[in-house]
Amino acid sequence: MSTPDDDFLVVEDLHAGYGGARVLHGVSLTVGRGEVCAILGPNGAGKTTLLRALCGMVKGRGAVRLGGTGLLGRPPDAVARLGVAHVPEGRGTFLPLTVEENLRLGAFTRRDRAAVQADLERVHGYFPVLRKRLKQQAGSLSGGEQQMLALGRALMLRPRLLLLDEPSLGLAPMVTRELFGIVRSINEEERTTVVVVEQNAHLALGIARQAHVLETGRIVLSGPAERIRADEQVARSYLGYRV
Amino acid sequence: MAGFAQQVVEGMGAGAIYAGLALALVLIHRFTGIVNFAQGELAMFSTYVAWQFMDAGLPFWAALAITLTVSFTGGMLIERVVIRPVEGAPELTMVIVTVGLFIFVNAAAGWIWSFLIKDFPNPFPDGALRAGGVAVGYPTLGILAVVGLVMGLLYLLFRHTGIGLGMRAVAADPDSARLVGIRVGRTLALGWGLAATVGAVSGVLVAPLLFLEPNMMGGVLIYAFAAATLGGFDSPAGAVVGGLVVGVAETLAGAYVDVVGSDLKIGVPLVIILVVLLLRPQGLFGRATVERA
Amino acid sequence: MSETANTANTASTANEAAAEPAEVQAPGRDASGEPGSWGARLRDAAVERWRPIALAALLLAACYAPFQLVPFRVFQLTMVLVYAVALLGLNLLVGHAGQISLGHGAFFAVGAYAAALMLDRWDVPYLLTLPVAAAVAFVLGLGLGVPAVRLHGLYLALVTLSIAVFLVPLLKRFESVTGGSMGLTLTKPAPPAWTGLAEDQWLYFLALAVAVAAFLLARNLLRSRVGRALHAVRDNEAAAEVMGVRLPFYKTLAFAWSAMFAGAAGCVYTWVIGFVSPDSFPVTLSITLLAGIVVGGLGSLSGPLLGGLFVMFVPSWSQDINKAAPGVIFGLLIIAVMYVAPTGLAGLAGRAAGRIRRTLRRE
Repeated sequence: MSTPDDDFLVVEDLHAGYGGARVLHGVSLTVGRGEVCAILGPNGAGKTTLLRALCGMVKGRGAVRLGGTGLLGRPPDAVARLGVAHVPEGRGTFLPLTVEENLRLGAFTRRDRAAVQADLERVHGYFPVLRKRLKQQAGSLSGGEQQMLALGRALMLRPRLLLLDEPSLGLAPMVTRELFGIVRSINEEERTTVVVVEQNAHLALGIARQAHVLETGRIVLSGPAERIRADEQVARSYLGYRV
Repeated sequence: MAGFAQQVVEGMGAGAIYAGLALALVLIHRFTGIVNFAQGELAMFSTYVAWQFMDAGLPFWAALAITLTVSFTGGMLIERVVIRPVEGAPELTMVIVTVGLFIFVNAAAGWIWSFLIKDFPNPFPDGALRAGGVAVGYPTLGILAVVGLVMGLLYLLFRHTGIGLGMRAVAADPDSARLVGIRVGRTLALGWGLAATVGAVSGVLVAPLLFLEPNMMGGVLIYAFAAATLGGFDSPAGAVVGGLVVGVAETLAGAYVDVVGSDLKIGVPLVIILVVLLLRPQGLFGRATVERA
Repeated sequence: MSETANTANTASTANEAAAEPAEVQAPGRDASGEPGSWGARLRDAAVERWRPIALAALLLAACYAPFQLVPFRVFQLTMVLVYAVALLGLNLLVGHAGQISLGHGAFFAVGAYAAALMLDRWDVPYLLTLPVAAAVAFVLGLGLGVPAVRLHGLYLALVTLSIAVFLVPLLKRFESVTGGSMGLTLTKPAPPAWTGLAEDQWLYFLALAVAVAAFLLARNLLRSRVGRALHAVRDNEAAAEVMGVRLPFYKTLAFAWSAMFAGAAGCVYTWVIGFVSPDSFPVTLSITLLAGIVVGGLGSLSGPLLGGLFVMFVPSWSQDINKAAPGVIFGLLIIAVMYVAPTGLAGLAGRAAGRIRRTLRRE
């Protein structure tokens, strides 16, 4: 029996690609409200394209609904105004601007000034390192700090849906673990729904409830994160690591 | 010595005007990477609009207010209608389109208001402030004050308002700007509107010194290019400093270098442009840009 | 004139043919009957067969025209040829090398003044002024090409524009040489008695000869290694460099050649008008030339001729409406061309001709 909460994000038969190249061939999945969903798979499977289609950076065919509202066909800025925060590959940081300006831009669509100020404090709570660098140019931050800034900026939207594209990319293992720890606490404390695309399946499965394995634009396996983690066969053939 | 100081002051007066138009050029370049060759002509057109309202009997400042509004709207409209369809096209295409706009606006002004020169009232009183043998004309002071005011307002807009922050975000990275919910198209149009408004101010300041006619801004545009090149095409502060330097250099060269005289002063911006581009292409205050393939 | 038109047509078809292998690779393109298919190959074969005939017919018409038209019309056609030669140069630079110049009027002026000085000072035989004027412009172009190599798109536009602006006061200043604002008045080349031609007809044939030679030269240039190198530079500078094209060398060369054509055009201008003054070469000339080549068709050999017709006749027809009408038309057309037909009139004509040929074959 499904409740509206179970069908918070619904993706049905999603096709997407760039110009002539089709990348996604009919992807369907649902994510419940407040859940973390991991999208796994090898390079070039279409994971990034899936996120881009969700947030409007790439045009798609099929259906994407968030809390009943269709997302397909809307430009990225309109999707963002519906409460979808996307931390893209490469982090999307505004390098010439200061850390504080980057964070404020995360709340660009919000008009509730007092709450934005409170959220700034909240983000500082998650990422104490950012507080020390508020007036610094974002371009001068280290890779890990930039990823924290990107996540912090996304939180400033008070997102209903948080899309994370390879947050571990280019980061030291310790920093990555810290980052995933923060994502987990954000999810637990604020019931933010998260879709995370990750090469590092071990980490992603550690915080996800559901997981989907994508290969050449199709979902080849879905299930609770626990089960996928336990399945050695899956681990070997799709995720490229040993348990 | 007083003579020299006098020349410097007059050069700054001229330079402030170049700075105004250079500011407009820089505003658009920062947001879109386009150098708008039609910027001077748009300023000229705006000046005609102001003239038209004054001719209809409006006082100067009222006409100016209306003109700035019209220019702002016009700039946004041009971005929508003329520039948007070729957004993302190669640089060559962009240059050609703005040159087309240049020709069109120039001719349109001639069509509407004829090519005969018109008198344009000076909003500032005659006379001069004298100090230590140097006479600073009130018009010069007025121009400096207006350009300073424009600069200050732009600073406030960019540094202390949400809209300004959004505009800077778009200039830094349009794709990421979209992801945080900024309407990038609208912001670019806003940038064009703003540039047209700043350009209009420079046109209205120039017109009393030259005469109002469709080719009024042709020379000024070259000086503004030199100013923007010198200051760096993505630095508003650089545009203002560059404008003042170009104005002073031009005046001094005209006064003290015999070969230059009054008729070859237009060579000064050419030399400045060439020297800057060959020695320090990003300008004095610009950031070195990464070549995009 | 017609000769040139035809050369141009064949050359633009050659361009299309050259572009086809790339298009064939695109899947799904073959079946549509568009370029790269059998239809296109048939079309090229047809063009190949008709080319010499059409060429001869047009050249004949060009030679016949001055005997049928009033002197003023002959003069106008002469000016079309003059502009076409200058546009040929601009086309090399903008259309083929992907560089820009907002100051080609300056090279035109240099050629014109070089010829005028030679005629005025030293009574040089006027036919000799042509190679010298062209050479002077070439050297100047080379000189400017060296810094131009280091300048990118819009900066090059800035520099060339300011050179064009600077030229007028410069010419006025050196009065002892250039005649200052008053300019120099010269005797026009007189037709040799054996030809039995009137002055306007003789000037027309001189211009026609120069134009034909210029078109042949440009065509050969573009078909050579150099032409391929230029296209590589235009289409992808980085890739061209990786492939070993010596960028600075070719860009400088493109500038110099382009200046040379403009200088030669300026020289013929002096012959035809018999008068030069600084105000004959305002900035608007440079901008009009750019407008002409954009509307005529960037990158095609017929573009300069169509552009020349455009630059000559649009103002003379539309000026009756309003003095500003030519500018309004130029401006709007440049923008429109950039939106819908970046290949200009020549591209449109080529597409239309292709469609007609296809239609005819079907019947």
